Amino acid sequence: MALTGTDNYFEDFTVGDVYRHARGKTIMEYDNVGTTLQVMNTAEGHFNEHLMQNSGAIFPQRVNFGGVTIATVVGLAMQDTGENALREVGMDKIRLKSPVFHGDTLYAFTEVLGTEAGDEPDTGIVHFKHYGVNQDDKLVFEGERRVLVKKRGWGAK
Amino acid sequence: MSEDFREKARLIPKGNHYDVFEIGQVYEHHWGRTINAGDNSLFTTLTLSYNPLYFNAEYAKAHDHPGIVVNPLLVFNTVFGLTVEDLSEGGGPFLGVDELTYHRPVYEGDTVTARSTVKDKRVSKNMKGFGIVTWHTEGFNQNSELVVDYRRSNLVRIKK
Repeated sequence: MALTGTDNYFEDFTVGDVYRHARGKTIMEYDNVGTTLQVMNTAEGHFNEHLMQNSGAIFPQRVNFGGVTIATVVGLAMQDTGENALREVGMDKIRLKSPVFHGDTLYAFTEVLGTEAGDEPDTGIVHFKHYGVNQDDKLVFEGERRVLVKKRGWGAK
Repeated sequence: MSEDFREKARLIPKGNHYDVFEIGQVYEHHWGRTINAGDNSLFTTLTLSYNPLYFNAEYAKAHDHPGIVVNPLLVFNTVFGLTVEDLSEGGGPFLGVDELTYHRPVYEGDTVTARSTVKDKRVSKNMKGFGIVTWHTEGFNQNSELVVDYRRSNLVRIKK
């Protein structure tokens, strides 16, 4: 039995396709506060609730670290777009469109923007645009991502 | 003790304001961070990042890696985190990232460090009291090899 899916190889990505990914994720304190501190991000706006409620901050509560928003939306899209990837190539035009707070639920959508030859045998690069929306259907994230994906039969030599 | 410690205390401030950034200025950021197996496993599972390269050692080895590959999103987040005190702790919201490239894989036990160059700054038209600063950040492994680079823009508070 294969460890990864059989419907997300390079040949399965068609330019213009748009996917709605099946799972959402509610952002909890451990996602934001945990990851912010795990990665040495010292910005208190992500982990000092007292400060945020009393300092006249733009948002009077802790705000989800944008790096966590990016990783969560890309993560929600990962099984469908990167499960059979050999390598993440890069990201571009990442925009955080509105703030995410504890208790918000994120959902991911993906559009296939393009496909091109890979730099390794039996691979191709897929160019995606990801969108993240919250529980009110408000856009919180958009950004492009390139991934090196196996073609069917990769490694079968 | 006659004097209250709170009255006697001097704040040791952290973070920079908009005014200190000069285009071309380079910051070698503090600390560095060894990314260990627990970091990678926790981050990858919390973000539902389902590519077995990031959590199945046998699968990673079968794909020509010495062991589990650190999730690239964690490499990006860690390099970003190391830059925050110098760049955006005194700041406002993080707006976006452009031209991010992953240059080589990072493995569990590798140590990343970060460096940033100020690329652009301007006063925000929409947000009074804030400027927008853009930096080019590079992340390196323990062999001084580039692992990731990107441009980041942030709102940064103008000193009152």
